[in-house]
Amino acid sequence: MKLFTKLTLFITLSKLAIVILFVWLLPFLVNRVAYQYNDYYLNEQKKKAMEVIRQNGIEAYLQGEPSYGSYTMLKEEYISLEPAGRVIVPDTIATLRRVVEKDTLTYRVLSHTFNYNNNRYMLEVGKTTATIGQYNQPLQRVALYVLIGLIVSTIVIDLVFTRLLLRPLGVIIRNRLLNTRFPFRETMRPVQTSTTDFRYLDDSLTELMGKIREAFEKEREFTSNASHELMTPVSILQSKMENLMMEETLPEVLQKRVMDMMKTLNRLKKIIHSLLLISRIENDQFPKADSFPLRTLLQEVVDELGHRLQEQRLHFNLQLSGNVILRGLNHDLIFQLIYNLLNNAIRYNKPAGSIIVYDQLIPEKPYRLLIKDTGIGIPENEIDAIFNRFKKVERKENEGYGLGLCIVRTIARYHGIKIEVASSVGVGTLFTLIFPEGMAAAGPDPGQEASLSEGDRALGAYNGFSKF
Amino acid sequence: MKVLIVEDEKGMASEMEAFLKKTFYLCDLAYTAKQGLEKMEENQYDFILLDLGLPDKDGLLLLQEAKKNCPDAAYIILSARGQLEDRIKGLDLGADDYLPKPFSLLELQSRMQAVARRKFGLPDSIVVLGDFRVDLNKRLVLYAGETEIELSRKEFDLLSYLLLHKNRPLTRMQLSEHIWGNFSDDDYDSNYIDVHIKNIRKKLSAYASVEWLHTVRSVGYKVKI
Repeated sequence: MKLFTKLTLFITLSKLAIVILFVWLLPFLVNRVAYQYNDYYLNEQKKKAMEVIRQNGIEAYLQGEPSYGSYTMLKEEYISLEPAGRVIVPDTIATLRRVVEKDTLTYRVLSHTFNYNNNRYMLEVGKTTATIGQYNQPLQRVALYVLIGLIVSTIVIDLVFTRLLLRPLGVIIRNRLLNTRFPFRETMRPVQTSTTDFRYLDDSLTELMGKIREAFEKEREFTSNASHELMTPVSILQSKMENLMMEETLPEVLQKRVMDMMKTLNRLKKIIHSLLLISRIENDQFPKADSFPLRTLLQEVVDELGHRLQEQRLHFNLQLSGNVILRGLNHDLIFQLIYNLLNNAIRYNKPAGSIIVYDQLIPEKPYRLLIKDTGIGIPENEIDAIFNRFKKVERKENEGYGLGLCIVRTIARYHGIKIEVASSVGVGTLFTLIFPEGMAAAGPDPGQEASLSEGDRALGAYNGFSKF
Repeated sequence: MKVLIVEDEKGMASEMEAFLKKTFYLCDLAYTAKQGLEKMEENQYDFILLDLGLPDKDGLLLLQEAKKNCPDAAYIILSARGQLEDRIKGLDLGADDYLPKPFSLLELQSRMQAVARRKFGLPDSIVVLGDFRVDLNKRLVLYAGETEIELSRKEFDLLSYLLLHKNRPLTRMQLSEHIWGNFSDDDYDSNYIDVHIKNIRKKLSAYASVEWLHTVRSVGYKVKI
């Protein structure tokens, strides 16, 4: 889940929890406030009554009667003054039932006993409980509305702010991780942020990528220099051996030895050539501006490999959907890529096995070219290693020098082509080339049908021996 | 034919000289661009073999100057740089061919021959081979001067390469490198040379003896004239 989604979820849920808690507590709280205020109010009323008694004497209320009572019109409040027993009790406030004019009502009652001219009196001030809670409902409603309003506005503010705060993270992910291509040659502009954590992350990533680039450049430079420097002595050696080979006085035994030396030297030459090729590709030395029909390219490769297909008695099958045009790549490199893959498909095939080259041209989806063989296959644990330099796996005698597939990977990466490998031992291997969008398109091809069938016939000739 | 070899690696220069001398070229050596220009002022050359990595001057610059001194010579660039731009630049500046190092001396001679045919219009493009005549320009093999024998492209390449280097044993590897170039796969391809040679023998011996095509035991083949 994205960090922003998580934060949003957290913010919303936490606020929701607070709302639920508040709604649950609200009636209780409001009620409590109402009662507290009411008690305070009763106390004030008591004080007023006592003040009247203190100033005007108790007779102001009693007027000769032994007791006094008064209530408001709807009996919501009352006051009473009565003689009390001997004991002086402290003030109490309690919810009691009182009978006023034959009506029994529940009151909140403040009782106060006091001495007046050596007589004890009890003053009661009461208010019906019904009136105490009369504002609770509207109060609760208003409080709830205000609360919801506040919560919604804080959520909106939080989201906007979180989004702003997290924006540099998105920029870092896009600029550093998604949009960069190994070996990170583009110049890195620091991401604008005042958050030190993001600054730190960005700086660390930039530094890390710089280090990777540096190591890569060093290796590339070394490979390139070493290969160039090796070429000169190799060429001198080769010339010397060739001249030696032509010595008429050279005995046959030595001729054979010289030939073996030449073979070894040739092997060295090939390795250097491959390393140089890889380093040149990684050095961006090949323009990617060619456009050509894939079918033509495949035909060229098959022409080059025809004799091997024939010798292994392999059944070669080319099934391309229409006339696919490749754009914006290097013809020679793609030739080499497909050559190496097909060459492997031949080399590791069973006698009289088969090779199928087919494709998947689905609109809105990347174009796929698949090369399937019935060869010895690659064990599961070796699949990841086959593209590595000099990685040798146990195969038959005529082993390559472990650079063929490395070249394939380098060329593919250079063009942004993805390679997938699926293999099962003893059954065969399937290489899938996934071309980036826009690189492959169905081309206009007048008279397509005729030329297609002709092409297929020419390729089909390799199925048997007819052509050789 | 007079050849100037401009190459700073003395070992390399002397091997080229030794090889070309055997094929009756006259060779002069220059180890620096300066020496090369001096030689060009003193003599006229048919071929100038030019290494690009000279110590005192960039080979491409030397090529431009040399073109002024010896405009008629055929220039072949030899270079360990081997980059495509160098190749294109060299050919743009008027070089006749470009050989990336390391190259086979056989290949060098074959290129020189091709350049000579193209540039100087050598008449000896028809070689007599027993009862056969091989027209290297038209890529034809004729029996008794009229019957055309059809060889595949690779078969003809093989035959003409053997012819060019007649009386020398050529290894299967050398032959396959010539035919398949960079795509040759060591031992893997040398078997195919046998197949092609067998085909050539079969096609030609239907008309006349091909005893001039020798198998050199455990090495390869040669054409003996």
